[in-house]
Amino acid sequence: MRRVLCALLAAALLLPLAGCRRDVAALPRGREIEDMELMQTLGVDAAEAGQVAVTASSGAGDGPDSGATVVNGSAATLSAAVLGLQSEGASYLYFGHVGQLLAGEELARRGLWPTLDYVLRDVEMRLDTALYLVRGGEAGAALEAAARDGSAAGRLEAMAEDAGLLSGSARRTVKDAITDLYAQGATFLPAVTAETGLPAAGYGIVKDGALAAWAGEDAARGINLLLGSVEADVVELPLDGGGTAALRVVGASASVRPVVEGGALTGLTVICKVEANLAEGDLDLRDEQAAHALEEALARVEHDRAWAALSLARELDADYLGLLSRAALARPWHKAALENASLAGLELELSVEAELRRGYDAARQEG
Amino acid sequence: MGIFGPRREPGEPHPRREPRYPGPLTLAGVEEIFRGCVDFTKRPVALEGGPTLTLCYLSGMVKMERVSDYVLRPLAQDSSLAGCADMGALMKKMEDGALYNLSAAERTTLDQAAFDLVSGWCLLFFPGESAVLSLFTGTEEKRSISAPSNETVLKGARDAFVESLRTNTSIVRRHIKAPELRIREQTVGRQSATLVDILYIEGLTDPALVNRVAAQLADIDIDAVLATGNIEEYIVPAQRTPFPLLQYTERSDRFCAGLAEGRVGILIDGLPLGYLAPGVLGDFLRAPQDRSESWMLATVLTLLRYTCMLLTLLLPALYVAMVTFHQEMIPTKLALSIIAAKQDVPFRSAFEVIVLLLAFEILQEAGLRLPQSIGQTVSIIGGLVVGSAAVEAKIVSPAVLIVVAVAGIAGYTMPSQELAGALRIWRFLLVAAASLAGLFGAAAALAALVAHLAGLESFGVSYLSPFATESDGPAQGSGLIRRPLPRVKWRPAAIHPANRRNQR
Repeated sequence: MRRVLCALLAAALLLPLAGCRRDVAALPRGREIEDMELMQTLGVDAAEAGQVAVTASSGAGDGPDSGATVVNGSAATLSAAVLGLQSEGASYLYFGHVGQLLAGEELARRGLWPTLDYVLRDVEMRLDTALYLVRGGEAGAALEAAARDGSAAGRLEAMAEDAGLLSGSARRTVKDAITDLYAQGATFLPAVTAETGLPAAGYGIVKDGALAAWAGEDAARGINLLLGSVEADVVELPLDGGGTAALRVVGASASVRPVVEGGALTGLTVICKVEANLAEGDLDLRDEQAAHALEEALARVEHDRAWAALSLARELDADYLGLLSRAALARPWHKAALENASLAGLELELSVEAELRRGYDAARQEG
Repeated sequence: MGIFGPRREPGEPHPRREPRYPGPLTLAGVEEIFRGCVDFTKRPVALEGGPTLTLCYLSGMVKMERVSDYVLRPLAQDSSLAGCADMGALMKKMEDGALYNLSAAERTTLDQAAFDLVSGWCLLFFPGESAVLSLFTGTEEKRSISAPSNETVLKGARDAFVESLRTNTSIVRRHIKAPELRIREQTVGRQSATLVDILYIEGLTDPALVNRVAAQLADIDIDAVLATGNIEEYIVPAQRTPFPLLQYTERSDRFCAGLAEGRVGILIDGLPLGYLAPGVLGDFLRAPQDRSESWMLATVLTLLRYTCMLLTLLLPALYVAMVTFHQEMIPTKLALSIIAAKQDVPFRSAFEVIVLLLAFEILQEAGLRLPQSIGQTVSIIGGLVVGSAAVEAKIVSPAVLIVVAVAGIAGYTMPSQELAGALRIWRFLLVAAASLAGLFGAAAALAALVAHLAGLESFGVSYLSPFATESDGPAQGSGLIRRPLPRVKWRPAAIHPANRRNQR
């Protein structure tokens, strides 16, 4: 009996060597990495008759002639369209390394939920994939254009890394978008245009899963300011004595407080503090009057930017900045009122304080 | 039929014949035992004006000067010996000091006499007497004490053990001068009759542990103790595991540190090393120089060793799992470079890894068996020339070569080669499991390894101590951190020392 059991055990262990995968379906299916083509960027567009067009692009190779592979297809659903791409490539297209997902404007206006849902459910796609909107164009065209000049992946990765420096673009992932849409019904996504180099084009405001408006340059900078994601934005201001001062904005923080009058929530107060350094300009920071004037000028510029972002939120009644939840966090005893409030019905007050921390002119500081 | 051949009934008779040589102790009886032995020497010694005695010894086992100076010279020159009334009185006088030997004993059985001769004693027969006088005149030819050849000493004692048991016990005595050091002796091996000493410090070592080791040794019934396995495999459950359960060292300072810790030492005649029991996983990951270095450096090196243990065990399996099943785990740039490197390699990743691991083992084995100079050449040719040629010929990919090399080199950081060997065996199993089911397989095999280690005990001490401990006590001691020595005030609880405090 013991021998029989040993023989059966040995046979069971040797079963995977039989080459019949169906017989050992309990084991996961392996695929050699060299038999794959790693897709790094996926573009999704609205196609005719309610279909979805998908464009996938690999990264650029090392050689001078080894450009990115771009494949495209369309189907009624995203899953079918992506599956259809498998017949296009020379080897198995693997989407586990997709780092950027681009959505065309038309598709974004139609609705992003099917795309987000696909990423959420697909076994290969990742929730930390960066999500971009293509302003005034199609994602497929953007990927094709980028492939002519290398690949979209490299350009978008560089843009994401420099987001803080540009101050008009920030990396947003599929996970961020889904979380925001569930929590506050609106979110914002970085936008690019379908031109060579994929230049940044502000943000798209997404409300209830569909693109509602675009945030232009000032509003985009205002969004970054209110979220505190500013690392090195440069603001140029004229000086009283002639010339121009360049102020490097190195930090920003914003706090949101509810305004309650007679027990009723009437508005929100947003206080934004901006820190900047004097990068260039003929100005002695020890001259308090001149420094104060410059601080006030900077505050006005930043106020306009932040107000553009806030106005957009109020006009669209889209809390894409999470103002209500931030106010609830600051005053938890008003949480119930804030949860039921709508931005369109609230008065928004904004105050911006700017502070010049230091200058870069070592000679002046020593003197 | 079991794995190790036909299974035999445990109670199958294999009786010892006791005594080995029955019958009265006579010169004829001794001559019969050593019949056909060219080294057996018999010499009559006539006392002046008295009886003629017979001296027997085995040439080569005795030191001739001792026989001449301590036995023959007094017999020839001491005239008072002839005046003894009878043989009994003569024997008593010689035993009490008329002969100059340090050791003299009366033997009454043939067994004792025969084993005395083999041990370098000489026998003095008295006509008409049933007892003989046994005098120790053994030669003490031995290798001189030298630095250990397999355990590098940076800072520390260099008196390594030698093949002579008595020399080894003397080395230990020189390190541990406490009179409480006990040395119990047993004879193991029917043919080799090898002396095996059990060393421990009374009042410090758990008596139950000492008795357990002694009982295990007494239970050995084999022909000869000629290799280390003749003792090791009989006193620990080595059939069930490739992991070492006894710690061995040729460094006397390390051996003595183990004794002072409350462990039991075993020294075997003819083997230039000492064993320490019990041996648990943490012991095999501690290097002897850890106590000679700064505690911070020793801690970092210990952590490094644990990391290397995981690396040598898991790296090939993780590589196979990731490139075959979980490509999303690899950073994109690394995945692209692996794809580029493997593009023209015709073999599956698992096959590549297993073949390279086998090649690594073959190279290592070849390097060990050959003389040192040729071994180095083989390693260079095998490792560099064949390795780079295989990569250039697209037989293996550079990534696999790097993975196997890193895993192999990480294995060399193990202070115990036996532990490194066990890890090498499990490395193959993990790769096989990973090639079947990816990370799930590797995790299952790793769980099996942990379960296996958790099921091991060395003389009643959990093998995973101090990470795991007995069910009735908390985990004590530290496996990863070598604390500053002034703060190590307690001996390991796992070995139940009679006195746990080791300093003020």
